[in-house]
Amino acid sequence: MSLLQIDNLNVRFGDANAVPVVDGLDLAVDAGEILAIVGESGSGKSVTMMALMGLIDAPGRITADTLRFAGTDMLKLSARQRRKVVGKDIAMVFQDPMTALNPSFTVGYQIEEVLRQHLGLKGKAARQRALELLQKVEIPAAESRLDAYPHQLSGGMSQRVAIAMAIAGEPKLLIADEPTTALDVTIQAQIMELLVNLQKERNMALILITHDLAVVAETARRVCVMYAGQAVEVGQVPELFEVPAHPYSEALLAAIPEHSIGAERLATLPGIVPGRYDRPQGCLLSPRCPYVQEHCRRQRPALDPKAHSLARCFYPLNQEVA
Amino acid sequence: MTVVLSARELTRHYEVSRGLFKGHALVRALNGVTFELEAGKTLAVVGESGCGKSTLARALTLIEEPTSGSLQIAGLEVNGAGKQQRKQLRRDVQMVFQSPYASLNPRQKIGDQLAEPLLINTSLSKAERREKVQKMMEQVGLRPEHYQRYPHMFSGGQRQRIALARAMMLQPKVLVADEPTSALDVSIQAQVLNLFMDLQKEFNTAYVFISHNLAVVRHVADQVLVMYLGRPAEMGPKEDIYAKPLHPYTQALLSATPAVHPDPLKPKIRIVGELPNPLNPPEGCAFHKRCPYATERCGKEVPAFRQVGTRQVACHYAEQFL
Repeated sequence: MSLLQIDNLNVRFGDANAVPVVDGLDLAVDAGEILAIVGESGSGKSVTMMALMGLIDAPGRITADTLRFAGTDMLKLSARQRRKVVGKDIAMVFQDPMTALNPSFTVGYQIEEVLRQHLGLKGKAARQRALELLQKVEIPAAESRLDAYPHQLSGGMSQRVAIAMAIAGEPKLLIADEPTTALDVTIQAQIMELLVNLQKERNMALILITHDLAVVAETARRVCVMYAGQAVEVGQVPELFEVPAHPYSEALLAAIPEHSIGAERLATLPGIVPGRYDRPQGCLLSPRCPYVQEHCRRQRPALDPKAHSLARCFYPLNQEVA
Repeated sequence: MTVVLSARELTRHYEVSRGLFKGHALVRALNGVTFELEAGKTLAVVGESGCGKSTLARALTLIEEPTSGSLQIAGLEVNGAGKQQRKQLRRDVQMVFQSPYASLNPRQKIGDQLAEPLLINTSLSKAERREKVQKMMEQVGLRPEHYQRYPHMFSGGQRQRIALARAMMLQPKVLVADEPTSALDVSIQAQVLNLFMDLQKEFNTAYVFISHNLAVVRHVADQVLVMYLGRPAEMGPKEDIYAKPLHPYTQALLSATPAVHPDPLKPKIRIVGELPNPLNPPEGCAFHKRCPYATERCGKEVPAFRQVGTRQVACHYAEQFL
């Protein structure tokens, strides 16, 4: 059984007829797996994870057939019960480490808080464990950093502290939401390496949310591509990059400058992501898709796990004709 | 070819207050940058945060006076230029900023914002200005009805088109773009980069393109200048630098950049540590504390920025990497 099982997740902001921000999402994550969710801004990647952690407030509403984590139905939990899970078994690392940490407390205090809340560690034991965690995330002179305030740390260091806080409760699932977007490329490489090492060592599941396809190619084993709130393609990592089945995945890959070395122009997908008021009746990509057919404009394709390909498309690309 | 922009030993230092009773500290944000740029060509400036790329942009666009060194724009020396000359110089250099959300006036219509450079710098009539604006809007892919709209009605990609249109209104000789696509999604980034290339061809403008994204730089640049802690590390033709980087920092930067199709045989160069404190830079080569090849000499002697083959490198041992 999967560690995390999401079936038909819908997230809406407003009444039940509002346009869904996450639209019929199915996702399964196994223990010890790295899954990447890629998509452009507004595609619903972060909202999906917020829904899982119960961080969506009114007027947001969540409906799902299944939202199960490690055998627990996350939808049925009370707020008190959820707090026992979130931060311990599911932990999250956010995009901007400068705002994820509380500026008024020392780094040591903030890590110890997690240990106190979730593991019941106090005093010296908590401090000792916090120190070990800082060493674990390769912070130099960890002892003295325990008493540092977040503003005294660089972006990369702050992100390391945020990771230390996230792994303090020995999570089964770590969600990293754009963990390196705010960082420089050499620091990005260091942080990604750290995350992957921690994941291997602890056999955690890691969900990596990002818009950077190159980061995905180098770290994840499975990837879910999202577009306008829907998962449009789910696939294994080298395959999806080599032979994408969904036209959107193909366009996203083609738009990367790396694919047009020597070419004068970059390949582009015309237009922009449909907004709240101009969602097409048929396939959400149909107004921009270069392969669009009449059928696509009228009906929405489904992402059928039993079908030959895991692409939400009537006419998937790169399929071998059976 | 005509050289439109030439910088010689361009330097900008800042005095930073360290408190009431201590003396000022000196940050050498930009430390002796020399280059020439021809019309219709692109110089890309790459480096991590704090390397001085934005200070360079501010010096080139006359937003800030350089502390020392000379800067010539279209053959006109900036140092000691009179008021009238400065006005002309400012016409010739325009800038596109990173965030299209902050660089447009939210209370002014798009059409008026685009017409403003003409209003200030030319004696065209209202009708003529409007005509020019409409023509430019068409060129950057905006529709005529957008003339009456306000910035909040546009997406990030469209706003960056507007910012680019505004910069190009006076047909400048040099356009300085500071991270123009880093706030955009990858498919929108491709559209905007194509627009940059199209306009360059149309107006034969020289670009100074500042970016931390080496994949983007590879697409747009003719010459690449890599900076580290305010100093040039390596400068040369794009093909040479990407094929065989000579400075260890360039090597690390290229190696740390994730690739969509990673080469499993290529060993990853991981540099340790973070950017040193610019208030207290290390003795000798600024990079030597993180450099895997550093020797004793690197800790003592500042390497000269010297010619090696087709490019210039600031490393004592550049020849060994040839």
